Amino acid sequence: MAGRIIAVVALTAFLCGISFATFSELRIFLPAMLRGAVVTLQVSILSAVLFIVMSFLAGIAKDSGTRLVRWLAIGYIEVFRGTSLLVQLFWLYFVLPEFGIVLSPMMAGVLGVGLNFGAYGAEIVRGAMLAVPRGQQEASVALNLSDRACLIRIVIPQAVVVMIPGMTNLTIELIKATALVSAVTLVDITYASVQQNQLHYRTLEIFTITVMLYYCFAQFIRFGGSALEDRFSRHLRRGH
Amino acid sequence: MKGPKIRFEKVLKAYGELKVLEDLDFHVDENEVVAIIGPSGSGKTTVLRVLMTLEGIQGGTIFVGDEPLNVMRKGDRLVPANRAHVRRIRSKIGMVFQSFNLFPHMTALENCIEAPVQTKGLSKSEATAESLELLAMVGLTDKRDHYPSQLSGGQQQRVAIARALAMRPEILLFDEPTSALDPEMVGEVLNVIRDLARSGHYTILLVTHQMGFAREVSDRVCFFDGGVMVEEGAPDDIFGNPQNDRLRHFLSKILEAT
Repeated sequence: MAGRIIAVVALTAFLCGISFATFSELRIFLPAMLRGAVVTLQVSILSAVLFIVMSFLAGIAKDSGTRLVRWLAIGYIEVFRGTSLLVQLFWLYFVLPEFGIVLSPMMAGVLGVGLNFGAYGAEIVRGAMLAVPRGQQEASVALNLSDRACLIRIVIPQAVVVMIPGMTNLTIELIKATALVSAVTLVDITYASVQQNQLHYRTLEIFTITVMLYYCFAQFIRFGGSALEDRFSRHLRRGH
Repeated sequence: MKGPKIRFEKVLKAYGELKVLEDLDFHVDENEVVAIIGPSGSGKTTVLRVLMTLEGIQGGTIFVGDEPLNVMRKGDRLVPANRAHVRRIRSKIGMVFQSFNLFPHMTALENCIEAPVQTKGLSKSEATAESLELLAMVGLTDKRDHYPSQLSGGQQQRVAIARALAMRPEILLFDEPTSALDPEMVGEVLNVIRDLARSGHYTILLVTHQMGFAREVSDRVCFFDGGVMVEEGAPDDIFGNPQNDRLRHFLSKILEAT
């Protein structure tokens, strides 16, 4: 028994020693990395909002009865899905000024990521709305609901359940894609890590921390997604 | 003398080359209960669907009361009806579907009050009071807070009837209301429809395969086949003394099956 306690204490001491030796220089590079993490969070949150708004707008517009609206949606989706995010960021930040539109790096980053992912999200939203049975619209007509009320009160609430897994996936993907905003001079967590690594050569610690931070962000989205799914599919479970 | 409540004049409904209804002339008087029978593909459900404006027609005119549904008067010309016109006429009609089509994300009560609140400008409490009466009428007061997924087929269809009634329609359309039900639940739904038919407050069009029920509740039975109305008459004549060969053939098939 005593032997086992000694073994545990020794092992703990050893691990603490190793960790201390390894991470004692954390304070040198950690502040810069945390500043990067804050930028990543800012870009992620703002572009996620834009992504969701654009997904709904374009997803709904693509099946609109008005031809112009439909074409606008198709044009947007095809342009942003059909070209690379990196090039879109370059365009927003370096090309638009040629036309007199100067965006801050943050604005260019958020716009680029949000618009790009919105084009993918639009298809998820549209697919989910098509998955709502036709009879739901027919019942809405029979009850004389307006097209708008049918969309907002009947179709979208049912479609949300279907779109959550896909949208959760894309949101996680979006967080990781924000690493590209370094192309428009933003110092996000990835770029900060690269810089700190060049300065301090603590490769193992720096990139381990970076990976862990991304993982935490992704987990946050994952749990948020399942909580939403729970909330919106309550009525589908029997006996509650 | 009042004109008919529903009138079809040379109505044509076609999908490309396929004519589902061909030059149909058909009418239903106010507070009359009419059953439509016929084999599948005969166009009987289509009569309800074009009347409910779930589908457009390619020719002819449908009248509800003395107002045309698919066209409207502009000066002394008739032009295709706009949305406001269709919605105004449509508000007189309620429909009950074969597959219920309840809103799955709303409770029984919410299903009933949704449309009155959204389209008739009723307050939530007014609509709730009315809908609770209707749910009591179909015997589902205790299920008001249940979601459709927690209800049996028969209960869902009764909620759907209450939901249609909540819009205070003058005309009720039943599209094979018991076809999707397990046999033991057919009776509870038919009882509700029977009460509505006997109340004399509604003009009712009923598409059904329940021949016994059609004979019992309807004032008139219409037999459709191949997009045309082949024979119509009093229930006892249609079932007791059918004239047309196709109707006789149809009835004998039905008899074989039961």
